[in-house]
Amino acid sequence: MSPWSSELFKYPFHLIVRPYNGFWDLKYERSRRANLIVSFAVLILMVVTNVMSSQYSGFLVNLYNPQDMNSLMEIVYVAVPVLFWCVANWSLTTLMDGEGKFVEIFTSTCFALIPLIVINFPWIWLSNVISLQETSFYYFSNSFAALWSLYLLFVGNMTVHQFTPAKTIATMLLTVAAMGFMAFLCLLFLSLVQEIVAFVSTIYQEIVLRN
Amino acid sequence: MSNKLRHARIRLLAVLSMLLSVGAGGTLAYADGGSESYNYSFWGDTVPAPAAYEATVSIAGEGAGAGPFKDPSDLHVTPDGRIYVLDSGNNRIVVLNRQFKEVETIDAFDNGGSEDAFLNPQGLFVTEQGQILVADTGNKRVVHLDQNRKLVKIVDSPESELLQADFDFQPVRVVVDKAQRLYVMAVGVFDGFMEFNANGEFTTFIGANRVRVDPVELFWKRFSTRAQRSRMVMFTPTEFTNMDINEEGFIYATNGDAWGDTIKKLNAQGNDILRRTGYFSPRGEVRYTNEEGPSRLVDIDVADSEIYSVLDAKRGRIYTYNGDGHFMYVFGGLGNRLGEFNTPVAIERVRDDFLVLDKALGEITVFRTTEYGRTLNEAVRAYYRGDEEKAFELFQKTINMNANLEFAYAGIGKALLRQGDYAEAMKYFKRSMDQANYSKAFLLYRKEVLREYFPSIMTGIVVLLVVAFAWRKYRKAKGGKRNVSVEQRVV
Repeated sequence: MSPWSSELFKYPFHLIVRPYNGFWDLKYERSRRANLIVSFAVLILMVVTNVMSSQYSGFLVNLYNPQDMNSLMEIVYVAVPVLFWCVANWSLTTLMDGEGKFVEIFTSTCFALIPLIVINFPWIWLSNVISLQETSFYYFSNSFAALWSLYLLFVGNMTVHQFTPAKTIATMLLTVAAMGFMAFLCLLFLSLVQEIVAFVSTIYQEIVLRN
Repeated sequence: MSNKLRHARIRLLAVLSMLLSVGAGGTLAYADGGSESYNYSFWGDTVPAPAAYEATVSIAGEGAGAGPFKDPSDLHVTPDGRIYVLDSGNNRIVVLNRQFKEVETIDAFDNGGSEDAFLNPQGLFVTEQGQILVADTGNKRVVHLDQNRKLVKIVDSPESELLQADFDFQPVRVVVDKAQRLYVMAVGVFDGFMEFNANGEFTTFIGANRVRVDPVELFWKRFSTRAQRSRMVMFTPTEFTNMDINEEGFIYATNGDAWGDTIKKLNAQGNDILRRTGYFSPRGEVRYTNEEGPSRLVDIDVADSEIYSVLDAKRGRIYTYNGDGHFMYVFGGLGNRLGEFNTPVAIERVRDDFLVLDKALGEITVFRTTEYGRTLNEAVRAYYRGDEEKAFELFQKTINMNANLEFAYAGIGKALLRQGDYAEAMKYFKRSMDQANYSKAFLLYRKEVLREYFPSIMTGIVVLLVVAFAWRKYRKAKGGKRNVSVEQRVV
């Protein structure tokens, strides 16, 4: 089957409503190439949704300061947490007898983000035609999308690693902790690099000014 | 004929050039707003604003013909424009007329046959009829004189089970309401203001400040012995720093806290009913450094239309808010130039002008409105009265001078909403970040649009349905067989 068939588009929607079958197929049945294509498409759409939502959402649900808005940072806000999550999850599950490979973890995570796009994207326009009293629907759908995504993340993790539910929950909590640890290490590393750069540049200046 | 035409043309030219020059003059006049004055945007950024007030003159005691003031601590202005200065160091009250010339000096009064005087008085209040109340701090009493400077009553050594036996009554500020009740701010009283009835008997305390407990202190207190605890800081409510009363009898008060609501509007029960619907809760400076700290408010003055101003002693600035808590303008500062102070202690508003009393210099500085300040004041008044037409016009003028004044857009939006121009009103509410009113305008706008297009939308849908239905019937009747064969092929 060609990866560009209509099945490529139907499958993600099938997955979000039938997550157990969907993630099983993702791991064992479907081509890795097609999964990766869809995953990256999901990430890009997620960025687009976030950027458009902060720019075009209705005034009643979106008080935003145009000076704080940076579309490039929106890419970072999506890509970095996903990457951190995947790395942390992979590092943990390799130690905890998880069966998932890194690619599988990555694709299952990306597929779990689909509800956040499918639900939030139409709301960018809908939020422009609602009143203050009707904004509760907006917030309800947002929370619903987030919970749905969390559920998909849970099922995806469980299927990919072939864990029991309890172990999956424990792994997910540990992953969040590991993400925090990684962020800390990254900051530490960055500041160390900064120190080294400053040190080298100071020495360079000293030598240059001596002559 | 052609002559006439030429005349008309020249006249038109003249009118046009006049209009142009007026416009140019206008921009010139507003351009020198200076960056001294500022306002806060919705996002908490400081944005420049044109000056609303300018210092015009400063008056010392000598200039008024009353001899120099010594540590004056309070002043009061009656509606007829008379200025009462409480010259504490000289134990007297100096009354000035509108031209800032002395007309009267009160340094003694007749107390039951013998002459009596003040001793280091700190607070002064003058009723609309010209009756004078003095918080005679050094003599531990409040003195009430009538308009002929005859003694009405003296309030001293209050007695009540609410007060401790060794209570030392040192009044520093006093106000009186329409029912002749006295409200006194006294030194060392943490329970709020002391309320006295018309006969001068103590009735109750109102409007105590809240206690704030420092968690670190509390933690250590838990682990200390009784003896240790008795030597630690006590958690007591803070004292008020000043008070004023408006024509409706609400007391406006400031306290010296560095946190929480430092400005309060107390009703008769002592509850705080100040509206804080502005972008920031009114408390003077919003953006400050850690070393500088928040504003220390030492005086408050409430004018008509619920407009009130507070004086920040730390920065020497006067902040003015409208009844909804929107920040209108700021002026003043510490320094040596005209319009700057050394130790400002009291402010008073005379119609649209401000008087600021400086204790160390013994001077009163007079501030008068600029074009911008006048327009904004009038706009806020018109809005308060509910005169939306007028408010609309004046707010338009205001934002022409200061496009950064975000709350003015809501005033315009309200007028537009009333006029039925919902789409335009939405735009203005959006500019003032007013979601509640935006939603109101939007609902009306949506209703209007739907009412206009509902018939055509519904007609469109019905027509589409009919066409689709007919098309399917037609397909079934004519190409039914082919359809089936296509389906079979797919399967």
